[in-house]
Amino acid sequence: MYALAAFVTLFILGGSLFFARNAYVQSKKLGMSKELVKKAVVSSVSFSVLPSVGIFIGVITMSGMLGIPLPWIRLSVVGALHYELMAASVAADGITLAAMTTENLVTIAFVMTLSILWGGLFAIFFLKKYQTKVISKATGSGNKGFGKFLFDAVFIGMISAYVGDAVAKIVKYDTRVVIDGAYALDGMGNYILEDHKTFVPIIVLLSAMAAMAFFDWLIRKKQVKWLENFSLALSMIFGMIVAVVLGIGGIY
Amino acid sequence: MARERTYVDNLHRTGRIFMILGFAVMISVPVTMWIVTGVAPDAALFFPAFLTLSALQLPGGIIEVITYSPMLGTSATYLAFITGNLSNLKIPCAMNARELCGTAIGSPENEVVATLAVSASTITTTLVMTLGVILLIPLTPLLELPVLQPAFNWVVSALFGALGYKYFRNNPKLIAVPLVFMIAFGLLLPGFLVGNLAIAIVIGAIVSTIAAKVLFDRHFLDKEAQ
Repeated sequence: MYALAAFVTLFILGGSLFFARNAYVQSKKLGMSKELVKKAVVSSVSFSVLPSVGIFIGVITMSGMLGIPLPWIRLSVVGALHYELMAASVAADGITLAAMTTENLVTIAFVMTLSILWGGLFAIFFLKKYQTKVISKATGSGNKGFGKFLFDAVFIGMISAYVGDAVAKIVKYDTRVVIDGAYALDGMGNYILEDHKTFVPIIVLLSAMAAMAFFDWLIRKKQVKWLENFSLALSMIFGMIVAVVLGIGGIY
Repeated sequence: MARERTYVDNLHRTGRIFMILGFAVMISVPVTMWIVTGVAPDAALFFPAFLTLSALQLPGGIIEVITYSPMLGTSATYLAFITGNLSNLKIPCAMNARELCGTAIGSPENEVVATLAVSASTITTTLVMTLGVILLIPLTPLLELPVLQPAFNWVVSALFGALGYKYFRNNPKLIAVPLVFMIAFGLLLPGFLVGNLAIAIVIGAIVSTIAAKVLFDRHFLDKEAQ
């Protein structure tokens, strides 16, 4: 299993490096500056470290029932924690850790892998058509310049959804109980829920936002240019520290 | 005579090949488990579970491609749809890089920036995970310290707070409607929103786009469009 995981990891690394190299070659053709390329890479690396640790904690969460290698593989390719936990519980359907057989593990691996391929399959067959027909029109001059706002609006909608999510958790936050790396089910096959309503996510969100405002002020008014690539990561750390401090104070 | 293949055609071709290889690698994992252990999956368990999950993932996957691919561009979409963790990492990462580099969505420069961002992000995640697995024994007790739990529980809230500031500052007129809408949504239907965040994201995107289009058509965005 570890050998498989290593193989998958090497494939992902190789693929990423290949795409990065192509993009770099193209950047030269387009006459983009080295600084710009460096900025894109450095900011993305610093941005990704903390969420990656969060994803790795997902591996530990899931390892209860499935061991380390399978969650490691699943969260490296297409996976995302909430999906994998759901897949594990749907596929395991009442199987407990003690009763887990090899057959169960193989079945779970098949379910997790095959059920998530749809988005990718759609991309293989339709992305090109979608891009030439829809996106090019939206961003082209034909739409009298609305394209400039379209994707900012979409992304702002996405951010707003996360703000709404943090607000919703103040009122009600049913968490599914995780036992042995899968969502636990009751006798009727429903998820076992616990209400953990909490102010913490909205406080964390606002703290990170305030920290970002401060760093942004330093960058723009005080010309602290090096901060540019790290301001997001540092703001996230600040938000996370606030969560820890609240936790120490007994607020979860 | 066949049309000459353009740069974009090549991107799609490479992306598709990569994706098919990716699928092969993914599927090889359970198949190898089957071959090595000699134990076949249990069809009675497999099909109901596969159908249940596919009922969610098939429409979900299509909506994800439609919503996210414009922000990612061509290569980054193929790469991101193989490597996963889209809404909580790859999309915000690509949008952050775009913002810092000042490239416009749909431009050739942005294609480069988004691809570099998603590649760098993927490599980072992969290295963190590999390092995590190698250091698993000393790391697990540390990462499972109760005092640190809230930090990683809410890392995504911190991410969107920090990133949100930048977008809200740069587009003050576009924020009001989706933000008020989603906060009201959260207060009125908290259970639905938290349980169906992927759907909520799509609803947020639609509301936000309609609001922006209305503002644009009524010339409220003329100054920004300059």
